[in-house]
Amino acid sequence: MPEIARPGQERFVAPLAETPLEETGTVDTSAPPEGQWKEAWKQLRSNWIFWVSAVLLLFILIVCLFPGLFTDINPRAADLGRSKEGPQSGHPFGFDAQGYDVYSRVIHGARASVTVGILTTLFVTFVGLLTGALAGFYGKWADMLISRIADVFFAIPLILGAIVLLSALNNVWSGRGYWGGVIAVVLVLAVFGWPQMTRIARGAVLEVKNLEFIDAARAIGSSKWSNLRRHVIPNALAPVIVTATVSLGVYIVAEATLSFLGIGLPTSVVSWGNDIAAAQSEVRSGRNLHVLFFPAGALAITVLSFMLLGDAVRDALDPKAKKS
Amino acid sequence: MWWYVGKRLLQAIPVVLGATLLIYAMVFLQPGDPITALFGEKPVSEAARANLEAQYNLDKPFIVQWLLFLGGALTGDLGVSYSGQPVADLIGRTFPVTVKLAVMALIIEAVLGIIAGFWAGLRRGKIFDSTMLVVSLLVIAVPIFVLGFMLQLVFGVKLHWAPATVGGDASIGKLILPAVVLGLVSFAYVLRLTRTSVIENLSADHVRTARAKGLPEGAVNRKHVLRNSLIPVVTFLGADLGTLMAGAIVTEGIFNVPGIGNLAYQAVQRGESPTVVSVVTVMVLVYVLMSLLVDLLYAALDPRIRYA
Amino acid sequence: MSERIEAATEPLLEITDLQVAFRAGKRDIPAVRGANLTVYPGQTVAIVGESGSGKSTTAHAIIDLLPGTGHVTGGTIRFDGRDITHLKRRQREAIRGSQIGLVPQDPMSNLNPLVRVGSQIKEALEANDIAKGNAADKRVVELLEEAGLPDAQARARQFPHEYSGGMRQRALIAMGLAARPKLLIADEPTSALDVTVQQQILDHLDSLTDDLGVAVLLITHDLGLAAERADHLVVMYKGQVVESGPALEILQHPQHPYSQRLIASAPSLASQRLTAQTRAEVRESAVKTAGEIVAEHEGDEFGGEATRIAVEAKELTKVFKLPAGGLGRTIDFTAVDEVSFSLRRGTTTAIVGESGSGKSTVARMVLDLLEPTSGAVEFDGVDISTLRNKKEQLAFRRRVQPVFQNPYASLDPMYSIYRSIEEPLRTHDIGSSKEREATIRDLLDKVSLPSAVMRRFPNELSGGQRQRVAIARALALQPEVIILDEAVSALDVLVQAQILNLLNDLQAELGLSYLFITHDLAVVRQIADEVVVMQKGRAVEQASVVQVFDHPREEYTRKLLDAIPGGSIDLAS
Repeated sequence: MPEIARPGQERFVAPLAETPLEETGTVDTSAPPEGQWKEAWKQLRSNWIFWVSAVLLLFILIVCLFPGLFTDINPRAADLGRSKEGPQSGHPFGFDAQGYDVYSRVIHGARASVTVGILTTLFVTFVGLLTGALAGFYGKWADMLISRIADVFFAIPLILGAIVLLSALNNVWSGRGYWGGVIAVVLVLAVFGWPQMTRIARGAVLEVKNLEFIDAARAIGSSKWSNLRRHVIPNALAPVIVTATVSLGVYIVAEATLSFLGIGLPTSVVSWGNDIAAAQSEVRSGRNLHVLFFPAGALAITVLSFMLLGDAVRDALDPKAKKS
Repeated sequence: MWWYVGKRLLQAIPVVLGATLLIYAMVFLQPGDPITALFGEKPVSEAARANLEAQYNLDKPFIVQWLLFLGGALTGDLGVSYSGQPVADLIGRTFPVTVKLAVMALIIEAVLGIIAGFWAGLRRGKIFDSTMLVVSLLVIAVPIFVLGFMLQLVFGVKLHWAPATVGGDASIGKLILPAVVLGLVSFAYVLRLTRTSVIENLSADHVRTARAKGLPEGAVNRKHVLRNSLIPVVTFLGADLGTLMAGAIVTEGIFNVPGIGNLAYQAVQRGESPTVVSVVTVMVLVYVLMSLLVDLLYAALDPRIRYA
Repeated sequence: MSERIEAATEPLLEITDLQVAFRAGKRDIPAVRGANLTVYPGQTVAIVGESGSGKSTTAHAIIDLLPGTGHVTGGTIRFDGRDITHLKRRQREAIRGSQIGLVPQDPMSNLNPLVRVGSQIKEALEANDIAKGNAADKRVVELLEEAGLPDAQARARQFPHEYSGGMRQRALIAMGLAARPKLLIADEPTSALDVTVQQQILDHLDSLTDDLGVAVLLITHDLGLAAERADHLVVMYKGQVVESGPALEILQHPQHPYSQRLIASAPSLASQRLTAQTRAEVRESAVKTAGEIVAEHEGDEFGGEATRIAVEAKELTKVFKLPAGGLGRTIDFTAVDEVSFSLRRGTTTAIVGESGSGKSTVARMVLDLLEPTSGAVEFDGVDISTLRNKKEQLAFRRRVQPVFQNPYASLDPMYSIYRSIEEPLRTHDIGSSKEREATIRDLLDKVSLPSAVMRRFPNELSGGQRQRVAIARALALQPEVIILDEAVSALDVLVQAQILNLLNDLQAELGLSYLFITHDLAVVRQIADEVVVMQKGRAVEQASVVQVFDHPREEYTRKLLDAIPGGSIDLAS
């Protein structure tokens, strides 16, 4: 070691005035307290994608609940004389092959599609969260049993399974009307959709269950069940919510696909899927594309809104995404 | 590793059994009389009816029918369709077509999805990235049959670049358009998955270390970012082959492809339980084998994973 | 000859008034504010600081590897006589590896898990045009040997997961030095490793860089380690350099209040002086209080006569079954092997061991979170596995509480601080909600947190504050024994010292008994009375703190003691 410090390495002590010491252990109490949800909400609020999708979805929801606000025309009133006429004043989307007003059918068709999406998602989320949490938290034979059963349903492709089950239902329960038709599609999609949510929930629970605060709660003397209910499930909810939002859109598309195959909602039900299916003969000829364009567009916008909402929620909830 | 393969195959048995039983039960929920369906409106004599019922095992309880079906399936006998053809022949004719279609779709989605996703991930937030995100969302949001119609109309009917329908002989050239349609949705997923994975890996510690040792940017991206990002993508692709084959039911309908989806669809409509159950069994087997393959692939790609 | 002297007097690295900031939205948040630093060829310079001091950011700015939105906003970095502050991509890549090497912090995440270790080092050789093809392969083996890796030929063909942490760090050192850079930046090169491994690796790095004449810029939070290894020290605090100069001089005569605090808090340095006496006072007071509490408890549900021993572990053994090839075949892994110890009331027994020693498994068994394979834990003379009914179990829980290691995982992020501390009270049905609130205020006061914290959530608190909350929660049920499982290991030095003081104060005041699980022998002297040294599941040595530190019996204990960085530095001169 040199006796005399070399240039640039002389003894240096910063003036205290320029480098004041801060108290360690101070708490900033100026801002209002923020939990994880509140923080996520703040993040969500600053994301324009969230607002675009939220406003669109709100609008779509109003259309579903009060279609009468947007049109007086009966979607089931056929005027064969005006079959396939293009958009015109008073009938902005024109007429379809049967002479139905396309605009009115798009407005009235929203309800069936969106209801299928929402109900299926609720159903799948409830069953998936319950089974996934039980399998992940209790492990052992509960996990074995639930995972194997989920495997059986997962192994059958959604659309194929849905076709078989729906055609079975068609025979047992024919002429089931509007709500019967909707419920049948919901049930069928849910039967083959839940294992996916079970897997997501199970994974999330497995991740949470070994964290130290769970041990701390056990050391306090909380029972397993209250631990699951109070700590594990709330902390495993984020990926489930994200998957639910995104899959809502997927179920709407699935309903349309089933209707396209002529096996989804009864043809008497006004729905986007049915109208798109009815439009296919037009499209093959390459004429009167408006018949396809408007219901398909409405469906796409709805699905897109749910997907964007799901993306925004993921960005707000996923700690990994937050870091970057 | 062979232990693992054996264990997995054993585990798959209850899945296959459960799935076929489930489908059998659903098919048998249909009280409609298949004999009547077979003969249409023509009257059927009692003797002929009994004969037919015996032939198709319709006179036995459904559990027995299921067991008989399983027994037959093990020897390659999947029963006879109501039109008199052995189901095994029907599947033998249609299955290769669907496999060809699905593999083509898989190649298309993998190549395009990985390239676009890699590029988008490297240029996060730039124009290309945003465009790709919008495109992928649109592709997912618009039902596949609408996309199918549009492409069929534009490329098949208007531009005549490809045949609008496939029909009897399913050559690769004829299948390109349906394969593109079939692969579109998965392309969007592959793109998004690759992109997310690339972004995640770009900030990985070992990537920084690779830069620190003086490796040029291009080599870092190729050897360390892309390679590590591909693991989740490859597993997705493996599992997707089964999904594509099942999803082919729509695409095959639009383009009139003589594949297994079409076969299944028509069988459901006619209530032909032997065919329906057989097709579903094939699909379940495809799923089970593909997920085993994915796990083995995973182990091949990631040296940390060893199955014992 | 004259040339060499000439070269040695020119600085190799000269950082002047460096400013680094991270962009958040439209604002720049400064991380380094006006740092100055000089390194001469062949010299070892250390930057010392706590998390958030900007020490790693400064290091990464030098090779332009700032993470995320980080960028240099001012000042210059001169290397080997040229300004490298703002270089083009090609020039940057030319400097990395061949001129400036990096040994990163965490050996677990810094090697690509999918690429053989040898290939990763070969890349460094090829990228810097040192060697190609077969020659490079040969060189890789030499480099690994040089880094102290036995059986290098075979090791080069292995994947990172087949290496232990220490071996990975050796591989990273080989990689950092592969292209013979003039400067090696070692960013906390050993903080993720066990102390004994840490020492070996640093010794090796020292001799290697000496032989090669490579200058080292060592980034560390450990003052003792820095003083032991470096000629020149730079102390950073909140992005600024507060003090710099010759290492020993700073250690012996710190001028800036922050350096003074840091030196006073560093367990490896401080423990020599103040602890023995304070500890004796704490113990005396605690034992007295504990005695009074025991007298009160006489004849309650636990029955057992008032003993001076609170917890006794009798030949505790835990065997885990690990899957081992084939169908359902398992092999036995003995994590804890017949460990016995006792914890006297009002005292602290420390269990010390490196990773994999089984110390945390012992903690979990004492807490009744894990069932022992054989042996027993006795609380007040009662075997806790015999507590069958709910009431007895809850009574046990009330008297033994844990504080865990990770301040980020030990509190439920969904719970406000109030709810977190209230949970034990609620579970045990203690008090009305009014009374509970008063209790919580009191508890927060005990752990020196303002009561305004109640309405906050864990994500709004620092690591030290969270650990205080965890202690408050543990105290809520007025326990007699607290199991501290690495409770201060994840904290910065200053905060660690504060928490240790708090624990001492609470022990004296409340007569608590602590079971203190740690990997860090240095902190043991500040808090423990008895020490159990564990190695590979066995208790290899048990004695009083004084005995263990002054007259260790076992070779392993001696190794642990020697490995405490800076332990041998004479502070008073």
